Amino acid sequence: MSQAWVLGQRALREGWRTPEALLPTLFIPLFFLVVNVGQAAKIFPSASTGFLHGQGYGAFQLPSSLLLAGSFGTAALFLVEEIEGGYFDKLRATPVSRSAIVLGRLSAEGAKALLIATLMVFLGLIFGISIASGVIGFVLLIGLTALWSVVFVGFMQLVALKTRSAAATNSAGLVFFPLLFLTPNFVPRDMLTRPMEIAATLNPVTYVMESLRSLVLQDLHWASIWPGFLVVAVAGALMVALNVRTINRYD
Amino acid sequence: MSSATVCGHMTVINQSMNGRAPAAVEARALVKTYDDVEAVRGVDLRVEAGEVFGFLGPNGAGKSTTVKMLTTLLTITSGSAAVAGIDVTAEPDAVRRRIGVALQEAGLDPRQNGRELLILQARLFGMTTAAAAERAQALLALVELEDAADRRIKTYSGGMKRRLDLASALVHRPDVLFLDEPTTGLDPSSRLTIWDEVRRINERGTTVFLTTQYLEEADALCDRLAIIDGGRIVREGTPASLKAELRERLGLGSDPSLDDVFLDATGRSRSRVAGDVQEVAA
Repeated sequence: MSQAWVLGQRALREGWRTPEALLPTLFIPLFFLVVNVGQAAKIFPSASTGFLHGQGYGAFQLPSSLLLAGSFGTAALFLVEEIEGGYFDKLRATPVSRSAIVLGRLSAEGAKALLIATLMVFLGLIFGISIASGVIGFVLLIGLTALWSVVFVGFMQLVALKTRSAAATNSAGLVFFPLLFLTPNFVPRDMLTRPMEIAATLNPVTYVMESLRSLVLQDLHWASIWPGFLVVAVAGALMVALNVRTINRYD
Repeated sequence: MSSATVCGHMTVINQSMNGRAPAAVEARALVKTYDDVEAVRGVDLRVEAGEVFGFLGPNGAGKSTTVKMLTTLLTITSGSAAVAGIDVTAEPDAVRRRIGVALQEAGLDPRQNGRELLILQARLFGMTTAAAAERAQALLALVELEDAADRRIKTYSGGMKRRLDLASALVHRPDVLFLDEPTTGLDPSSRLTIWDEVRRINERGTTVFLTTQYLEEADALCDRLAIIDGGRIVREGTPASLKAELRERLGLGSDPSLDDVFLDATGRSRSRVAGDVQEVAA
């Protein structure tokens, strides 16, 4: 674990020293939050819209923006740079465990996502969004966002390791958009058309979003919360395993 | 030390796994295949401990592929290799603890500074933070980068990057140091600095496995060398013995240069080599 910690510190320094890569992960999700609320808030007034639980539409949209903030995967692009520049081979030529190489970057990405998610939620609080599940809910909210970010960057790193191409890795990040739009992004799942409801039910991201949404809009409602954590736990374990396997077989 | 050997295919070792002291580097019938392409086609090598061994060849001859197999960075399609007496395929982590690697690209992290990079490298070899910091300081002094230690690597010149790469390959005091074209792209002054470093490192007992395209570099630094072409070793010996062999074979009046040995070994001529670099106008 100490090797993963050392590599994680390096990845954090890398992020800190590249603010131009970090800042869009905060501002672009905020932009989408403002635009989505601006477009649909009048359709869903808080007083007469039951699924808002008394909050504004911004509270309903906050989880989408948190998921987007956790889905930039810039760490994977740094990895491609390392592969192209030869530093990745330098690391592979040391006796560092392959899981530490993977976990170092992923843990740093999780830490960055914690910071970004915290900033976003605080900005949301300033603009009238409240976290109905309280302090515990807040911790779970940013924790789940960070775990989702680890899953997503794990996927992007996998593409980076397989293709060793910045263009391919960057394009792979776009997979987030179909995953996002096949969720109950604008309305709850039971208000979707039947085909969309089926697609959303099959999409694991739906459960992460519903879990986040539950934490924002309701008191701690564990039946809605645990499926999101289950999804990130399973997907995270799968991504770590696939990344380690790919590095072990890297040629 | 063996005398020069003109090799069709396998020659250079053959006795190693038969009772001699463990070699620093030993390869037998080493093959690397990518799909239908045979990049390395049966390389045999034996490098004794304490040597500076030169590995020469034209572009695409299989030098870097061989080095990457020996340093655990590429899988071996067939054949076997041992470094510091340890099987590369069976115990890659044990090999990694005994080798230092500076590859062609000077693989460095441009966002770190020189000191951070060396400390990180030392930590990955299991040193404590304090020991790693101390080792980094000593290495920065060794490669004369103390003044630039706290500057981001992206601001370093090509020569400084090479020296830092060399230092990072030495953090754990390796038994065998692999240098893959360490002076490519450097100005003459930086090249001479690297040569001095290589000599100093070797004098301290580290075996150096050096690939290069510069024949004067091989002549100046190497105790022995092998020339690879088309994925096969075609010559092996000391620089002097290789020159003497060519002089005798061609009945020359004086010793040829290592350039002549190289051209003879790779089936190239001076005119063909000159032609290789001519631009073709449309």
